[in-house]
Formats: sequence, structure tokens, C-alpha cells
Amino acid sequence: MKSYNADPIEEYLNPGHVGCPGCGGTLAMKLALRALGPKTVMVVPASCWAIIVGNYPQSSLKVPVLQTGFATTGAAASGVRAALDARGDRETTVVGWAGDGGTFDIGFQALSAAAERGEDFIYVCYDNEAYMNTGVQRSSSTPYGARTMTTPGGGWKRQQKKNIVEVLAAHRVPYAATASIAYPDDLERKMRKAVSLRGAGLRFIHIFASCPTGWGFASDKSVKVARMAVASRFFPLYEVEDGLRYTINQPSPDEAGASLPVGDYMRAQSRFRHLSAEEVASIQERVEEEWGRLKQKAE
Amino acid sequence: MTRVIEGSQAVAEAVKLAKAKVVSAYPITPQTHIVEELARLCSDGTMDARFICVESEHSAMASVIGAASGGVRAFTASSSHGLALMHEMLHWASAARLPIVMAEVNRALGPGWNLWLDQTDSLAQRDTGWIQIYVSDGQEALDTTLAAYRLAEIVNLPVMVVLDAFFLSHTYEPVDVPSQEDVDRFLPPYSPKFLLDTKAPYVLGEVAPPSVYMEMRRSIQSAMESAPEALEAVDEEFRSIFGRGYGPVEAYRCEDADIVIAATGTTAGTARVAVDALRDRGEKVGLLRIRLFRPFPARAVHEALRGTKKVAVLDRNCSFGAGGIFAQETRAALYNLGGPPVHSYIAGLGGRDVTPSLVEELYFDAKKAAAPAPESVWLGLREELCK
Amino acid sequence: MKASRLDSLNVSLFISRSSASTSSNKTGSWSFSRPRRAERSAPCSAACPCSEDIPRIEMLASRGLADEALASILEENPLPGTCGRVCFHPCEAACNRGGIDEAVSVNALERSLSDATVTAAPPARKLPPSARKKITIIGSGPAGLSAAYFLARLGHECEILEASSAAGGLLRWGIPEYRLPSAALEREIARVESLGVRIRLGRPAGEDMLAEPSRGRDAVVIATGHGRPSALGVPGDELALDALGMLARSRRGEERRFPRGGAPVAVVGGGNTAVDAARTLLRLGAEPIIVYRRRREDMPAIGAEIEAALAEGVRILPLAAPSAIEGSDGKMALKLRRMRSGDAGADGRASVAPVPGEDFALEVSAVYAAVGASAAERWMLPREGSALRLARCAIDPTAAGGRPVAYAGDLTIGRESVSDAIASGKEAAIALDALFSFGIKGVAAEIERALAADGGSASMEAYSRGPRATRSRAIVKAEDLNADYIERSRRANGRALESAKAALSFAEVECGLGPAEAAAQAGRCLNCGICNDCDNCRTFCPEAAVDVGPPGSGDPAWTSPRAPNLDYCKGCGICATECPRGALSMEEASS
Repeated sequence: MKSYNADPIEEYLNPGHVGCPGCGGTLAMKLALRALGPKTVMVVPASCWAIIVGNYPQSSLKVPVLQTGFATTGAAASGVRAALDARGDRETTVVGWAGDGGTFDIGFQALSAAAERGEDFIYVCYDNEAYMNTGVQRSSSTPYGARTMTTPGGGWKRQQKKNIVEVLAAHRVPYAATASIAYPDDLERKMRKAVSLRGAGLRFIHIFASCPTGWGFASDKSVKVARMAVASRFFPLYEVEDGLRYTINQPSPDEAGASLPVGDYMRAQSRFRHLSAEEVASIQERVEEEWGRLKQKAE
Repeated sequence: MTRVIEGSQAVAEAVKLAKAKVVSAYPITPQTHIVEELARLCSDGTMDARFICVESEHSAMASVIGAASGGVRAFTASSSHGLALMHEMLHWASAARLPIVMAEVNRALGPGWNLWLDQTDSLAQRDTGWIQIYVSDGQEALDTTLAAYRLAEIVNLPVMVVLDAFFLSHTYEPVDVPSQEDVDRFLPPYSPKFLLDTKAPYVLGEVAPPSVYMEMRRSIQSAMESAPEALEAVDEEFRSIFGRGYGPVEAYRCEDADIVIAATGTTAGTARVAVDALRDRGEKVGLLRIRLFRPFPARAVHEALRGTKKVAVLDRNCSFGAGGIFAQETRAALYNLGGPPVHSYIAGLGGRDVTPSLVEELYFDAKKAAAPAPESVWLGLREELCK
Repeated sequence: MKASRLDSLNVSLFISRSSASTSSNKTGSWSFSRPRRAERSAPCSAACPCSEDIPRIEMLASRGLADEALASILEENPLPGTCGRVCFHPCEAACNRGGIDEAVSVNALERSLSDATVTAAPPARKLPPSARKKITIIGSGPAGLSAAYFLARLGHECEILEASSAAGGLLRWGIPEYRLPSAALEREIARVESLGVRIRLGRPAGEDMLAEPSRGRDAVVIATGHGRPSALGVPGDELALDALGMLARSRRGEERRFPRGGAPVAVVGGGNTAVDAARTLLRLGAEPIIVYRRRREDMPAIGAEIEAALAEGVRILPLAAPSAIEGSDGKMALKLRRMRSGDAGADGRASVAPVPGEDFALEVSAVYAAVGASAAERWMLPREGSALRLARCAIDPTAAGGRPVAYAGDLTIGRESVSDAIASGKEAAIALDALFSFGIKGVAAEIERALAADGGSASMEAYSRGPRATRSRAIVKAEDLNADYIERSRRANGRALESAKAALSFAEVECGLGPAEAAAQAGRCLNCGICNDCDNCRTFCPEAAVDVGPPGSGDPAWTSPRAPNLDYCKGCGICATECPRGALSMEEASS
């Protein structure tokens, strides 16, 4: 029976924050907190979210937040967890909430170490594929083909996006998964799953968080662009348990072809519009290769 | 009870007695014995604490910041390059007003790699807002580490307890290790003034725009200005329970000295021997051991040097372009208060030995100098290597 | 521990920690556009000749609000139990869900709602005596019943004159019992009568009825249908029997049974009448063959009906056209020309031409002609030059002795179907009501105002300025929908009697959907153009600035109203873009 869906929803994100209109990272936090609930401590490094948390004396979140140095999410979260354990609190979930820069690049070492130590917290990377807070400079998460302020014009990024989930899978963490703002139920399910794996080690969630400001599309398209990324298999949604067991959630691995060519996804954003048909075709080829490898792992 | 232990062990004993709950560290010679001892104590259950083997010093400081923000007593230790790597987070710890205690073993910075005593590493962090106390023997190392927690938790500033590489860290001495019962009378359980708590959620360390930042910085400075008084009160309490006390400086035979030699750490011990020998030969010389470096104890230094004609500062460090750092700080402190001219000497870098005869050489050089040399005077150089 | 000097030391501690919420920042000031609930029309409603508000109907049905759902149908269509059985459901062909998995079972749901609930007609408008007109409707088929229903709801007094012994027209005399049982039809007719409509039986249509106004009536509606069956137009065609006549006799129980083992019976034609005749003859013991001049796929009959006929054992002989009939009843030769199909014509149907030298004959015991019909008498048709032609009806302000006549049903609609006839009757009713209020010059404008969707037909709700009348006429297209959120599911058509069993009697073949299954099937509707509380807007708002009202308090009162909190809405537009059914749009905010 179709319902009115009118129940009040407990939101842990306050309105009035300074996120850009259409900010995917903000949407990611809102959805994540719906699943994480109030017994959560957020550890937030330098990132867009460091600003969105709020200017003194305001907070945009209803949970405690520790802001920390850019490189330190993995370490600071470990310390917070140790403190809560020492105080006898095994209920509160510690969540490191970092951007792609603070995860793939400057924060990578601390993340790897925390994963290797089996630290008991959830590490969430909300990925807008560049250093957006500082004005759109490339990170190792920026995809091949993208223009940013440090890969401008003909110097567009020639390196592939680092596959961070594969890196975490190689650490054999109990749970690593991709998620997307366009698939809220899937995202919330994965957060709840991560919470339930308390004590098992580090859980890693990689959220695709589209950025209208940095990628060059109108603010109303954030969710649509995120959906196109999944539909084109550019950013498939999947889970890896213990670094070995793969499950593909979206798109369906039974479909022979993607429902959307990668070119359509890229044409929707001005950061890719300079690419020639041949370059797009080579990206399509690579996306299909990676998808094929992923499917093999999921068999 | 008195035990013959390494300086490193003395520090570890203090951390154990202070009931720190989180120790997070990365190994670097010559700090390793401190953290290895703590790892052993955590592993065999003697300490009810989590030992986090982090992957770098920067993460070591970040994780104790996390732990302290989470409301527990935390500890780390480092040296040399490790301390240098922590630099960003040292600033963070003090501005976050966290009562973290760190043992820092003074060791030279490279290249070339050098494991031995040199003070540039800790002094290069003098602007980070940490309280710095330079200790000279195993007993003082233990006592200061305990007192550091009491002090830090009053003024909400982190405290660095500085020991000399090998000469202190790896030297066995008889140390009176207090009982847990006595320590508990001195050091109450940690009661954070702010922490991460889901029942009362707020943000720690959020954006501070120009309209408020300056006042937050002023608050750090104010706390620093309260530190000498707080240290004095802590010292009093310590003395009343343990029968020992230290003060921000130690003035030895300075009352009628014409020339005072200023030194720190174990070097002060060597200088004390030289001062006694010189006194025996009729020289009117004294020793000023500077113990509290940050905040710089200007009044205490000024008081100790009252009536002195010259002070010769022995620095085992160098701020290139400005010279010996203790000398600079002393000179700056005395400028407005008035005091004797400050002669600056640099010796014993990178573990080069400082002997009593070198101290005597320093004394006579200062004695004959009409005025302080424009640049710090380097003693004990191998001329044939100087290019 | 005794109080120490340390406890009284006042140390400054001013850190960057929060003590307030960002909610005091009214970021609504950032926006230069804001979302507005702006419902649109659905393709199914536009395709429905009766302009039923299908997304609304399905939403109510999916929530178990069957009475409300049926009431919504009755707003636009007085005969849902009939349409739910015999309509050719253009709604389902237009259904946006068809491009995703399978179209919604709108037709079966309409039947299910009508069968499950006894709901009265919507209340009639109260008119002052001077405005209440007396209207005579000639013919009680779907068009006549519809015209009377809508005129009575508009507050007028209506009387239907029916030639035969029972009301319903083709519904009774043309559609067999196994498709439309009498009991279901009676219920529908009773509902029309409950509005005060009087049906006078045994009153054959005559031109003298145009003089009704002299007997105090104010207007006449002619809905007599096509009473003159068309002949085959070949030598011997007088030997052919009229299929419609056979169907009427069959309803009255007067039709002969056919002996087993006799020669087949030919039914010439390709429309619903031909298929109905063939399946009826089957049940009367004959072995029917449908003879059709074009290809099977060109047959205008409803596809499902053709399938059912074939399953029951009816044979179809396509690309065969009669050239002559010889013999006598019981033993005839139907001479046929083999046809060959050529290019498709404008209507999509293949043109056909005889193949020379391939004439053949069928041995049959009877031939039934079902090749169409036309108006029985000239006066039944709108007068050229004086009648105003509207989409589905015509109106002449003075054809009945200076009083208006409206023409409806098969007489005026291009496509002959029950729902088109109903729509025609509605349009005629609205046209007459408009004429009474505004004169002939105001009729076209009022009809235009009554359109609910682009390319759609007249809507009573729109005409009476109901709450859904304010929706945009723009149709929600398939590409406007978020198919990714839609879980694939199968449609259900309702059970049916197994063909072999069905062919043995006149029991209703289709059994319909049970109430639980119906609600579930209604849940497959995407509710294009109308808010159905999917909550996408609230889910995807990065500002957490979508307010939701209490359940069922929306306007109209079956949704929870969702509105942006303008204190915080930055106008990003995600809500409007993510609304899967086009019920929100962005508009420039005024300062």
C-alpha cells in the first residue's frame, strides 16, 4: 500500500549551513546521519565540510564534531575511539568524514595505518573528485580527462582516478563499499551495515558526491549526474567484505550493456566537455574493462 | 622506592603513575626506550591504557589530540625529525587547548643523520604554544612528567618535557619512584573542561573568523602568562607531598658571582663541576640552570642575575642567522628588565662532548671579553674541518 | 584533596567551539528561484476519451481508498463497470510505465473498483428554477446515458427515450453477455437513474421528436447511433444476416442454436462486432470463421478480444474479400477474392488489392455481415452549415424548432468505441450547458476551458473548476521520470476462464482482480504529474528544508503537502528535477 511518507524524519543536519546550492557532500552527510543517528562523533579534517560544519559559534550538525588537521583523519579518529573505549563507551560510533583530498592524497597514510591496525571506526570519504574547498585543484581522485585549476586547458588530467576501494580491499578491512547520493536507500543501508560491524575493524565507505560548482553543471542536476555516473558504470555501487567477497549493487550485472554511454555522463559536465570523440571512446573502453574485472570478482 | 633506572624508564614510570589512558607513538632513536617501556606496561596489563602504534609522528600527535578531545589523559614522545614532523599538530594541540604531555628527547636534525644530543629540535618549536621544561636527571624527568599533567590540566596547554639524548635518556641513575597512593594525592583524575560527548554535542576546532580569532589567540597567551604562577603552585604541592621541588630556574652559587654560566639539561651538571673547580681557584662564578623555557622565566632569570656582571650562555643549539637560542631568549628577556650583557656560546652540537675544561674555556673567554661578540662564539670546533 | 591555590587560579580558556545552530542563518536569501508545486497532466488521462484523472484514481486505489477512487472515476465517466470490461484502453498504450517494464493495468483496475464498491454518483449542481432546463435525449446507448448523466449533474432535468425494451443501446444489444453481463450493466444504468433521469422504453426514434420543445422541453440530444447496418455490397448480399441483429437476439435468448458438425459460419468484418459475433456463434454451437479483407494485424477489433477468440477456437481468414454469396440459409457458398496487402495508408493499415486468378469459395451454413453501419435517418445527423462541430459532438442552436439540438455518439465521433461515445455524450452535455449560459458563441471557449490535458478531451472536473483543474496541461513524458527508483514488477490482468471452458457458455470470461491484488496493481502507477508522497524532494534536499504536512491534509486532500521552507531554500532546484512525476517546478523568486 502506498503511504504518505509523512512521518517526521530525525535530521541531524541543520539548515542554514553554507554549502553551495546543490552540494552533493551536504546531501551525503544528511543521508549518512539519518542512518548513523545521534550516538555518533564526527572527525572532520580540512575539506569543504570543515567549512560547512559552521563558523564560530554555530554548528550545522547535531552530533559532536572534532575538526582536525588535513592529513590526520585516520589518526585522530583512532585517538577518539581509544578515548571513548577508555571511558567505557562502546555505543558511540566514531566516523571519520573526509573529502577525496584528505583520503586519497594527504590523508592516505593515516587511513592505511588505521585500516592495518583494524581500528574500530567508520571512515567515510565523500568524493567530489578534486580539492574543491581550495578552488578546484586536482587530486588523485580526479578522473582521467577532467580539467581542474591545476590541470587546465590542454593539461587536463592524464592519470586515472585512483581506485581507493580496491586499496582498502587489499588491506582486507571487514567492509568497504561505494555509495552514491543518488541511491539514498543503498547509502543508508551501507551506513547501518558499517555501524553493525562494530569492533570488526575499519569500515570504509566511498560516497560519490557530485559538485555543481567544481564540475560545471547547474545546481539542480547533482543527483541526476550522480545517477548517470552509476548508470554508465563509471562509478558502480558495490561492496567488498573482508577484502575478498564482492557484491555489485548497481547497475545490475545481468544487463548486457550499460543503460547510458559514459559520453552522456561526461557531456553533462563542463569539466569534460573538451574531450574529443576518440578520447571519450577510450574512456568508455576503460570503463568497460574495469566493469568486466569487477564482475569477475563478484562471481 | 629507589630504583636504578634509565631516564627513559623514569619518564615511563611517571606516565604509568599518572594513569594515562592512551599512548600513541612512533619510534625514533633515542626516544624508543620510553615508548617500548610503555608498550610493555600496556601489554601486560600494568597500565590500563591503549597503546596505538601509529605510522608517523604527525599521526602520533593527531591521535593524542583525538584522545584528549575524547576526554582522557594521553601521552606521546618523540625527538628530532619526529618532532619536526609533528610541527603542524603541535600548533594544533596548543590552540585546541589540550593538556597533552609529551616527552621530547633532544636530538640533532639532519642531514647528515645524527642521533646525539642537540637542542635545536625542541627549540625550533618554541613558537607552537607548548610549555617547555628542560630536565637534567632521571629524578627530575620523572617528577616533571608527573607535574606536567597537573600543570597542563590547570592551564589547558600542552607540556613538553625535554630530556637529553643518551646522556639522560639512556643513563641509569637511582630514582625515587613514588607510590601510586602518593601520586593519586598529587594528581587528581582528569576532568576535562570540554570534550566530545553525544549527550551535549558541539564542534571543537571550527572556523574562527577575524572577528573572534584574535581573542582566542589572546586566550592562549593569557594562559601562558598564568603558567609561571601555576607552575609555582604545582611545585609547592609537589614539594608538600614528595619533599622535592624545582622552580623555573636553578641558581647555583650565583649570589656573589661576577660571571654566571647559563646552561640547561645534563650540560648544567657538567657546568656545575666546572663552576666548583673554578670557584676553588677563586673565580667568582655561578651557574644558572634554565629549566622552564616556555613561557620564558624572565623575572626569575633577572632575579638570579641581579648583581652579576656578565652572563655566558652555553647553547647546544643554533638558530642559523641568529645564533644560540637560549642566549637570544635571555638577552630579549633582560632587555627591558635590565641585566648583565649576554655572551653567547655554542658548543656540543650533534653529541660533541662538552667537558668541564670546555666550560672553563667558555668562562675565561667570557671573562676576558670586553663585550659580547656580535655572533655566538663556537667552542670546540675542529679547525681543520672548518671550511 | 584539600583546596589548593590552583583551584582558585583563573585561567583564560576561549576556544573555537560551537554553542549555537546554523539554523539562525536564513539562507533562503540566497535563492533567485524557488520550487512550486505545479502538477501536470498524465499521458493516460490525455489518451482517455473520458479524460479520467487516472494518476489520482490509481493513487487513491493504491492507498485502499476505493470509494474515493471510484468517485474520481465517476466524476468523468458514469459507466466504469462497462468501460472496465470493454474499453480498448488507450490509456495503457500511452502509459509511461510501458517503456520501463509493463503498462499499469488501468482497465482491469477500473472494473475492479466498479465491481467492489457501491458508490453513488457525485452530487448534482443545484440550479435556480429559471436556469434548470428540460432536456430530451433520444437513445439510451453509452452516448445517451452519458449525456443524461452529465446534464443531470449540471442541474438539468433529463428524460431518455429508448426505442427497445431495455436501456443500454449497443451495451446491451451489441456486446455479448460473456463480455458485459446484464447485472453489471443494470447497476450502471441504475446509477444514472439515481440522478433523477427518467428512461422511457418502447419509444422508437422519430423525426417528430425534434418537436419536443413544443411540448415544453428546452433541448434535444440525438444519440441514436448507427441503426442502419451496412450491406456487403456484393451479389447475393441479401442472403447475409446482420451480425448486430444476431447479437441482439442472442441477448434476448431468441437466437437459434447451431447443430454440431454443420458447415462453418462466416462472419465478414474485422471490428469488435465481427469478433463478438464470432464468439457468440461459437457459444451457440457454430464453427465461426472471421473473413477479413486486410491482414490480421489490421483488424480494428481490440487485440485481446482477437486473442481470446482464437483461443476459443474461432478461425480467422485474412486477406479475403467477398465477391458474391450463393445458395440459401443452411448451405451457402461464400465467394471470396484473395487479397494482397500493399503499402500502408495514412491510417497505418495496409492497402489491399485482389490477387488476380486466386478466387475461391467457402462452404458455409450462414454468412453474417459485420462491416459497419450508419445513421438510420437523415434527421439524426447534424445539419451542415448550422451545426457547430466540436471534437466529439455537434451542436445546433436551432435545429429543434428554434431550440438547440446536440448530436452525440457514433453519429459524430470518428472512432467508434464505448468510451468515445461516453466522451461524446459528456461533451454534448457541457456544450449544451455552455450554450444555455453563454449562447452558441460561448460554447467553443467553454469546451476549450474544459480540456484538462494537451491533446485530451473535455473534463467535467475542469469544467466545474475542481481542485485538479489548475494543473498544467503539459504531459509528463517518459524521459521526465526517474525510472531508476522504480522497482520492476509485472502487471496482472485478472484471471479469466480457461478458453475451452469459456467457449461453452455465456458466463463472463474475464474474472477481474481481487481487492488486494487491485490495490497492489494500482501501486504500480507512477502517478505522473501528481504528487504521490514519494518523498524524493525531502530526501534529496541538501538544506533539509522541505516541510511535510500531516498525512492526508494536502490539497487535494489525499497527499501530505510538501513545501520548501523558504527561510532556507537556496533555490538549487534538485527537488524539482528529482520529482519523478513532474509535480514540482522552479520559478523565479520575486525579491
